[in-house]
Amino acid sequence: MARRIIQIDLNRVEGDLEFQLELEGREVVDARCIGSLYRGFEQILIGRKPKDALVITPRICGICGTAHLYSAVLALEQIGRIAVPPNASRIRNLCLMAETVQSDLRQSFLFFTADFCHPKYAGRPLYEKTLGAFLPFKGWAHRGTLEHSRHVPGIVAIFGGQWPHSSYMVPGGVTAPPTSRRILDSLSIINNLTRWFEQAVIGTDLGPWLELESADQLFAWLEAADTHANSAIGLMTRMSRDIGLHRSGFGTSHMLSCGAYCDSAGGQMFKSGFLDGDTGKIEPFDQAEIAEHVRYSWFEPYEGGRHPFRGETIPDFQPHSNRYSWSKAPRYRNEVVQTGPLAELLIDGDPLIGSLYRAEGGNTWLRQFARLRRTALLLQKMREILHELAAHLDDPHFTSPAADEIPDGEGFGLITAARGALGHWVQVTDGAISRYQVITPTAWNASPKDSEGRHGHWESSLIGLTVDDPDDPVEIGHIIRSHDPCLVCTVHLLDTGKRMTVWP
Amino acid sequence: MDGRHIVCFGNELHGDDGFGIRVYQQLRRLAWPRDVKLFNAGIAGLNALEFLTDCRQAILVDALADTGNAGAVCVFKPDDTVGRWETPIGHGLGIPYLLKALEIVCESPPDIIIVGAEVEKRAIKPFSPGLSGKSERAVEKAVRTIQRLVSV
Repeated sequence: MARRIIQIDLNRVEGDLEFQLELEGREVVDARCIGSLYRGFEQILIGRKPKDALVITPRICGICGTAHLYSAVLALEQIGRIAVPPNASRIRNLCLMAETVQSDLRQSFLFFTADFCHPKYAGRPLYEKTLGAFLPFKGWAHRGTLEHSRHVPGIVAIFGGQWPHSSYMVPGGVTAPPTSRRILDSLSIINNLTRWFEQAVIGTDLGPWLELESADQLFAWLEAADTHANSAIGLMTRMSRDIGLHRSGFGTSHMLSCGAYCDSAGGQMFKSGFLDGDTGKIEPFDQAEIAEHVRYSWFEPYEGGRHPFRGETIPDFQPHSNRYSWSKAPRYRNEVVQTGPLAELLIDGDPLIGSLYRAEGGNTWLRQFARLRRTALLLQKMREILHELAAHLDDPHFTSPAADEIPDGEGFGLITAARGALGHWVQVTDGAISRYQVITPTAWNASPKDSEGRHGHWESSLIGLTVDDPDDPVEIGHIIRSHDPCLVCTVHLLDTGKRMTVWP
Repeated sequence: MDGRHIVCFGNELHGDDGFGIRVYQQLRRLAWPRDVKLFNAGIAGLNALEFLTDCRQAILVDALADTGNAGAVCVFKPDDTVGRWETPIGHGLGIPYLLKALEIVCESPPDIIIVGAEVEKRAIKPFSPGLSGKSERAVEKAVRTIQRLVSV
């Protein structure tokens, strides 16, 4: 059977990703996820003062800079044994939620659902409604997302002075207190966004929708009213299932969440954990079980995997070898894992997501649905946080650390960014950063093969997929975009020299 | 809504893709009328929407696809942009996407004028700061063009 290779570029704000897929007939038989851009942030940080990380690491990403800032400050606070007052955690959490909500809405209705408008689906019963909702710049959901998603990072600017690339989290707290004006302005943004979310995205009030607890309840809810069925999430769900996205894109069954949003009791609002896909059990998360492999990466080789505190990032570009990525291959307990909103909500125990997962597994549709479920949860939690801030208006937002400088030592900061588990590991020697290692959500999901030759999660989610038309493989676009790779997705056919784009 | 914005796009780390930012560096040395604001939009993508609202006119500055006149400075309106940005000069979602989004989020979009220089595709070099000779020579011409547009 004829084999062909197709290459997919996934251009992101924070770097470039490509997929190289090998097709046998219409079936994907091999996949290589290629991180095509060397960043070098970990080297930039070496030799600098520890607090420089608070300015430099938010520049890693134009979408999730707040998440990097949060990880960096937690790592420094762990080294310095620095506690923060509850209001500081509230403001940090509020801002991270704002950033996540914007990313999730844009990923859903600017990128993922646009693929439903592909002419291939013209004969489907929902096609006309899909065009009306999701057609870029014309559909009501696409237009509404453009308008309503742009205001929510304003909350970060209100508390942090700017967004993106802000540096308002500092060891001991945040730089600005929660004034009445800041709370009112933020509440206004959340209320406006929530009104649109209720009216357009879920077609009902937030409260009752979040009370849905099982697959049966969700599907009954969908049929209970036209406003439910024809809401953005209703159309996304019905169209996804009509074209079979609940039966594709599974990848690894192991899931990881670092937990999210520090609470005042020293815990996290969303639990961390490792969902063992073989046993179905959720086990405690231990960062010591993380190791990064470089066997198929363009870094100076070492045997097996290394924990980030022993890791190194020394570039060694070998374009004509079997190494193929600037991304390392992180593994947890030596297992390939996936991370993101699906893993986050499953591990935290969201009953609806758990029920859907038990019924059908971690598929393309559920991964997308979980992202929007998270948006609803975060909108509710953001309002709660603002009310808490209003009730503790005069409490401190900053506690001055005992020492001006971060002492020598090592620490880590682990949180959940929009795309999943994010970790920073820092070592300070003689007053300067001697090692800085970052593992991003996309490094987990888009990793190349590891020392044992096992594919990363994105790679394995595509292997075995059958596409209807190898010249226009829109199925690949659905699966890749459900993992939130962000932006345009272009396919080049290397064997013929022909160039094309996965629609649109 | 009375102000005028000059919004410069580009990535100064990638050779001639940094044309707009090089122009920004020159513009910020000059004195401007009180209603004119300069912005370095870098590769802000959709986030640059905030620079295009609440003004009556916006001058966008960027590198343009090469039509055989590398180094030529062009001035045009958005309707005339077909093919202008079909090079790898994407800046994330790209300026055409940004302008379409502006029509949706802004009830009274500003009058948009685009000032750019054609750059050769080979001069957009990853991680090679600095402009090619042709683009560098176009910077002053672009600055003078913008001054004339603002003085009208």
